[in-house]
Amino acid sequence: MTRTLAVVRLAAFLLLATATAAFAQSAEDIVRRLEANQRFRTQEAEGALIITDRFGSRTKTFVSYAEGRERMLLAFTNPEEKGQKILRLQDEIYLYFPDAEEVVRLQGSALKEAVMGSDFSYEDLTGEKSLLDLYEVRLLGSEKLQGREQHLLELKARGRGVAYPLQKLWVDAVEFIPRRAAYYALSGRLLKTLEVLEVRQVAGRSVMSRAIMRDALKKNSSTEFRVDRVKLDQPLPKNLFSLEALSW
Amino acid sequence: MKLAALAFRNIRRNRRRSVLSGSAIALATLIITLMFSILAGILGDYRANVVRYLTGHVRLRNMAYDANERLNPLHLSVPGYRDLVSRLEEEPGVAAVAPRIQFATAVYREERTFGGLGLGVDFDREQAVMQVQHSLVAGRLPRMGQREILLPAGLAAEVGAGVGDKLTLLGKNKYLGMAGMTFTVTGIARFPVAGFNRSFLLVPIDTAERLLKMEGEATEVLLLARDDRRVAALAARANEIVSEAGLTGVEARAWERIGMWHTLMRLVDTMYNFIALFFFILGTTVIINTTMMVIFERLREIGTISALGMKPGEIVRLFFLEAFFISIIAALAGVLLGSALTAVLSRTGVDLSRAMQGVSFEVSPVIRPKLNARSTVFVFFYSVAVASLASFLPSRRAARIQPVEALRSI
Amino acid sequence: MKFLFALAWKNLSRYSRRTLITAGALAVGVAVFIWMDGWLLGAERESERNIIWYEAGSAKVMNRQYLEEIQTIPLKQVISDPAAVERALEGSDAAATRRVVFSAELFVGLEDGSGEGSLFVKGVGLDPETDGRVFRLAETVREGRFLRGGEPELLLGDWLARDLSAAVGNWVTVRARSRYGAFQTLDLEVVGILNCPNPLINQGMIFLPLDLADEALEMEGAVSEIALSFPEWQNPTGRLAEIRRSLVGFPELAVADWRELASDFLAINQGKRAGNGILLLLIFIIAAVGISNTMLMAVYERVREIGMMRALGMRDLSIRLAFLLEAGGIGLIGSGVGLALGAGLNWYMVRWGLDLGAIVGDMQIGYRVHSVFRSAWHPQALVGALVFGVLASMAISFIPSSRALKLEITDCLRHV
Repeated sequence: MTRTLAVVRLAAFLLLATATAAFAQSAEDIVRRLEANQRFRTQEAEGALIITDRFGSRTKTFVSYAEGRERMLLAFTNPEEKGQKILRLQDEIYLYFPDAEEVVRLQGSALKEAVMGSDFSYEDLTGEKSLLDLYEVRLLGSEKLQGREQHLLELKARGRGVAYPLQKLWVDAVEFIPRRAAYYALSGRLLKTLEVLEVRQVAGRSVMSRAIMRDALKKNSSTEFRVDRVKLDQPLPKNLFSLEALSW
Repeated sequence: MKLAALAFRNIRRNRRRSVLSGSAIALATLIITLMFSILAGILGDYRANVVRYLTGHVRLRNMAYDANERLNPLHLSVPGYRDLVSRLEEEPGVAAVAPRIQFATAVYREERTFGGLGLGVDFDREQAVMQVQHSLVAGRLPRMGQREILLPAGLAAEVGAGVGDKLTLLGKNKYLGMAGMTFTVTGIARFPVAGFNRSFLLVPIDTAERLLKMEGEATEVLLLARDDRRVAALAARANEIVSEAGLTGVEARAWERIGMWHTLMRLVDTMYNFIALFFFILGTTVIINTTMMVIFERLREIGTISALGMKPGEIVRLFFLEAFFISIIAALAGVLLGSALTAVLSRTGVDLSRAMQGVSFEVSPVIRPKLNARSTVFVFFYSVAVASLASFLPSRRAARIQPVEALRSI
Repeated sequence: MKFLFALAWKNLSRYSRRTLITAGALAVGVAVFIWMDGWLLGAERESERNIIWYEAGSAKVMNRQYLEEIQTIPLKQVISDPAAVERALEGSDAAATRRVVFSAELFVGLEDGSGEGSLFVKGVGLDPETDGRVFRLAETVREGRFLRGGEPELLLGDWLARDLSAAVGNWVTVRARSRYGAFQTLDLEVVGILNCPNPLINQGMIFLPLDLADEALEMEGAVSEIALSFPEWQNPTGRLAEIRRSLVGFPELAVADWRELASDFLAINQGKRAGNGILLLLIFIIAAVGISNTMLMAVYERVREIGMMRALGMRDLSIRLAFLLEAGGIGLIGSGVGLALGAGLNWYMVRWGLDLGAIVGDMQIGYRVHSVFRSAWHPQALVGALVFGVLASMAISFIPSSRALKLEITDCLRHV
């Protein structure tokens, strides 16, 4: 009798172990698929940032280029900031202004500043680490958003130095792109939320075409991010991501 | 014999005594005049700094600006300022108008950033208001429309930039977007207030408009009144002009209503008046004691003339007249000399730089004494009054003493 | 010699009126001088105290990098083992307290959704038990109370509270980044509002307990600065050298004294110190004039007396001495009274101060500004004034008495 019980217990334990293992795998898998979806050799996009605060809304249009996860060039096209460019090379950010005779290099604490008063910081633009390097992921379950099934993931920072120590991610079960993200402080308080409003198919991939980041602590503070046109994996001009190119 | 003539004779008779008491009165008067002028100069200086750099006599701003001042809200502006400035300049009560754009900025140079307060100004109009030309220590003022900048001495040293160097200003434009522009340093200024020396960066207002995407907008317009006693009326008139121009969100405020500056000024004012009061007491004491001494020294004389039949009342009047005549001459001399000294000092200024050793960025504060009705006319009449009245007590006392007693005192 | 003293004393009482008048002028002069000097010194001390008591202490120990980048408040540049530093400093008899300094955004009214305002502030985590050894913040609490360790509490500057419409009892949220860059929020209750003579504090600083800051910002016991206080803050070079020697085992740390750390808040009256010198000089002159002319007059009036004394056989030197002593006596009396009067005035100003704000009247426009003027004790001035009074009186009597002594005795006697 005891032996049967022991076998049953062992079996149950093994079953449970594999099941859990399967679960854990699943969460990281989800993240891997998510990130694979966002990986591209090159990207070219045209879009807008709509920044809202208590004084009202401001729209900034841009054209952007990216190569892998290390290089990005963003050029503003709206009349107020026309000609201004942001270049990211690995962990460095350079700013170009048509009226300035030199290129401004952002370092250190300046990287924590918000881009154009939006809810994104320059820091958010840098860093090519995978989420899995920074966070331990756990699958909490499923949720429906706008009628679509989402995997709800919880991300806990592995070590120090991660800006958002806790994140929740709603990943579309079919398309494997995030539909919603919530960013929390060390205290557990909600700081920001990202809501993906529209998704588009480009070259067989799902791409976010409208998203809005909201500051949970400030009333009426949000940044809407809109992509009007995007091309993936198309060849880009050589030397596009260089300091010289900034003054073109 | 007429008392007046007798008084005169007495004065001339004992020259040494008259000169002694006269000179004491003159010196005391001189010093009080000088001191009042210096205090007026210091106070005037303080006031001038607040008015020229911060508030003007009347300041026009967007109504919602002050509440959000910390955020430096460029969009809460005074629109169409050029027109407004022209209209204001036509007003008879207005001595000068200066539109300004205040913006938070950082100087970027050699990959380092330094915070500062940018001021877009109309350099021509500021000749009368901020009077930057007086603070210039190197180079020249920026020209309107150009990408030229005037650095304050403290910041220039910190940044390591001099005349002819270029630096880039970074900031936020009216639309909260980034703004960046490279400027050439054309001049360095030493402002009379330490805090300004570390942060005020002056650029032409039209260039600032381009940098910050302000189209014909300013963050404030400062007015200087012709008569600084009619400021409230000027503010009211400015508000009328503002509504005539249809600028509903803009309001003009007289300096008393501008936050804490006026309070501070009144405080400093009171403090210096207090100091003046003590000086006054001191000077008065000197005058009184001189006059009294003179009379008490002449008890024998009093005894003699009393014995010769002069009535006490006449004696008192006699000494009164003596004191009166001496003090008129002496006080006049004192005030004139004091005024002359003030005039000289106000031209050259009293340079106090040696006292500010070790403080390398501070400007050498120069005090320019100022003459006013108080330091001259008032002091004159006061000295005469005090000296003359001071003669009463001792002369009455002396006159009442029996002639015999008086004659006995040697 | 005794005779001369006795003579001088007799003369003083004989010409009591003259004595009193001259001494009176001198007394007023000395009193005003002392009072003014005390006030001016007090004003100077006040601005120094503003920095030392509230902002910088006498000196601070901090990470070298931190000191270099101090404008940007780099939280990650820390003193990793403050206990070791404090041990190293034990021998030097300076009081010390730890602080964590960080930039933060302050949100009011988040709970009830009324919050619209947020402001960027400078946050300071302080140790409520030891902070008082170096700083006097606890004395500036105008509403509520000071911090207690371990509780989620906050102190706000007065002007800040006004701008945010925050009051004691409100809960606020502070958003900051930890030592390692992670975002953090703290929910804190406002337990006290500070009104400090230092406007920087009033304007943009918040204070919370160190243990709270340590935990929330992942400090792990490290701090941004160790503030020190020692008595010779006026002349800190010797002390600084000693402290630096004690800290030789910490090459990554630097020590800066309050002068280096003082930030420039708007100092409108720059010429004050030297202007003060002028004021004192003028007082000096008036007082000198006051005593000199009466002194001169007095002596000239006594030319006959001098002649008499000479005729009776007194030597010139003795006469001079007699007059000198008399003048000295007047000087002593005058200066003595002036000293007492001045010291009395000064004591009042030191103890109670003069609230000019009350005279100005309505000071409630805008922010509360400190309007009480306090004096300081300046022993050198007290002694100096006394000595000056006596010496000057004696010096001034010299000239006319010399003149009189040069005349023929008969001319003296004939003098009127």
